[in-house]
Amino acid sequence: MSKQPYIVPAIRRVSQSSANPQRLGRTPVIDVIDGVPVAGLLARFGGPLFVFSEAGLRAKIRDAKRAFAAVYPDVTFAWSYKTNYLDAVCRVFHQEGSMAEVVSGFEYEKARANGVPGARIIFNGPYKTTAELRRAVDEGAMIQVDNRDEVVALARLAAEMDRDLKVGMRVHVDTGTHAVWSKFGFSVEGGEALRMIRWMTENTRLRVCGLHCHVGTFMLDAGAYATAARAVTELALEAEEAGCPPVSYLNLGGGFASRARLHGQYLPPEQATPSFDDYARELSGTIKDCWPQGRTLPKLYLETGRALVDEAGYLLASVVAVKQRTVKDAGAALAAYGKGGAGGALAAYGKGGSVVAAVGGRRNAVVLDAGIQILYTTAWYQPSIYPAAEPRTGVQPTTVYGCLCMNIDVIREEAALPDLRPGDAVVIHPVGAYNITQSMQFISYRPAVVMVGTDGHAHLIRRRETLEDVRGPEVVPGFLSEINGTAGEARVDRQ
Amino acid sequence: MNTQSTRLDDLMLNDRGFVFDPNTGESYQLSATGLQCLRALQRGATTAAVLAELLETREVDALTARADLDAFLWELNQLGWL
Ligand SMILES: Cc1ncc(COP(=O)(O)O)c(C=O)c1O
Repeated sequence: MSKQPYIVPAIRRVSQSSANPQRLGRTPVIDVIDGVPVAGLLARFGGPLFVFSEAGLRAKIRDAKRAFAAVYPDVTFAWSYKTNYLDAVCRVFHQEGSMAEVVSGFEYEKARANGVPGARIIFNGPYKTTAELRRAVDEGAMIQVDNRDEVVALARLAAEMDRDLKVGMRVHVDTGTHAVWSKFGFSVEGGEALRMIRWMTENTRLRVCGLHCHVGTFMLDAGAYATAARAVTELALEAEEAGCPPVSYLNLGGGFASRARLHGQYLPPEQATPSFDDYARELSGTIKDCWPQGRTLPKLYLETGRALVDEAGYLLASVVAVKQRTVKDAGAALAAYGKGGAGGALAAYGKGGSVVAAVGGRRNAVVLDAGIQILYTTAWYQPSIYPAAEPRTGVQPTTVYGCLCMNIDVIREEAALPDLRPGDAVVIHPVGAYNITQSMQFISYRPAVVMVGTDGHAHLIRRRETLEDVRGPEVVPGFLSEINGTAGEARVDRQ
Repeated sequence: MNTQSTRLDDLMLNDRGFVFDPNTGESYQLSATGLQCLRALQRGATTAAVLAELLETREVDALTARADLDAFLWELNQLGWL
């Protein structure tokens, strides 16, 4: 007789609210990504492992372009490098016709190294050195000027070169949906932006031919784009009326929400996240509304980041330990599942007898081989965590810890997961936006990244870090060359 | 002969692992192996026998099963059932 699968012998107190925890519902399983088995990916590349779906990336950018092309005559997407600047990911977007949107000299160099010509780069950000600006001007990049000091630096360059320079101007707008991102650009409200455009026209050889406004990120309210679009369109027309050169493009930045779930977000992403069509309708409708009838509409640029890449990214991780964790009020935790009525569930302890809080207040917990050092977005999102194989049991509330020796390293306070054992793989999703670029080398090596191609194969696009990657830039001063009579393998500065 | 039932005997179990403790009025949910172990204990099995049964019927190594079983017995002890 073949043996049955093993699960941990466990007991949990059932409070009024929790009822049968087996009834929390089934968690879907992710055992393949675009036809490639998760188990095979982990066996071949080791774990943890980031996986990107080429098909997923292409499907998103095509959907975004379709949505905007349907309602607006002239729209160009620029890939937001900071959202994910793995070369392979950037190149998928460039192949799909996206320009590069960069916010530093480093990102500019990375885009150029990817073969993007200067004229196909939008150069944003509050910090651009004079040398970087000079190169961008020479190569014909679209510079979006952020502040007065940058205006001055660019004006000097234009004077030095004895030519007019076309620039875009970054502005900020109060959309009423969140705190204004007033760190960037000039204020539309109060007239600062208009004054600056006039000043540039009258005092420099800078010609403001575009307006740029990135209202914020993860905008669940598509209506915020209508507010922003109205403000920049009206500003463009006012500037022209005031004798400045006509504005030929509007850049509404990024900020479209991905299908991730924010902490505290009540509605699931399927209901809460606007579609590209929703955003397109708001933007296009407003610009057309404000623009003079019969005149060619301004070109529209978009720098959508997370909404294009988040869902194409997965993190495969493995369980390394299983724990039971003491929680103050297990009932309250279950209430989060919508099972209702947990308040004072533990008042039942007043019944006397030998009910032990330790048993009642236990929750399953697992430790993974990946932590928040490579999952920066867990600060904002609650990623979904899927078992990578058919579950052995029903699901129950489970805390998912990362691998760091840091108490804050909690990937999910409470995920609905079946009984997991060490060695079991899980798939964390969506993780494609910002986690690669904002991950830290901290405590452990950063994992490898693969792209599952539309050819059905997994391609390594970034190898796992090694000790040499970490130590490479380090130099040990000569007076520390020996410890306990041995030199070790340090790179010693012999000066 | 001692005819008084023990707390362990009093527990009411169903096949889905639901346990009712009439002495406290509290209910509990067992995992499938938890149910298997508790039933064995009600039949009077020793710890060693329960362990042997787990090893015989489940895909698990002796050390893991031993560690998990000891933790489980400790919890039952906390509940005053053993
Ligand atoms: C100027 C600019 N454009 C585009 C983006 C991309 O934003 P998102 O990923 O929210 O679409 C950002 C991100 O902060 C940004 O600062």
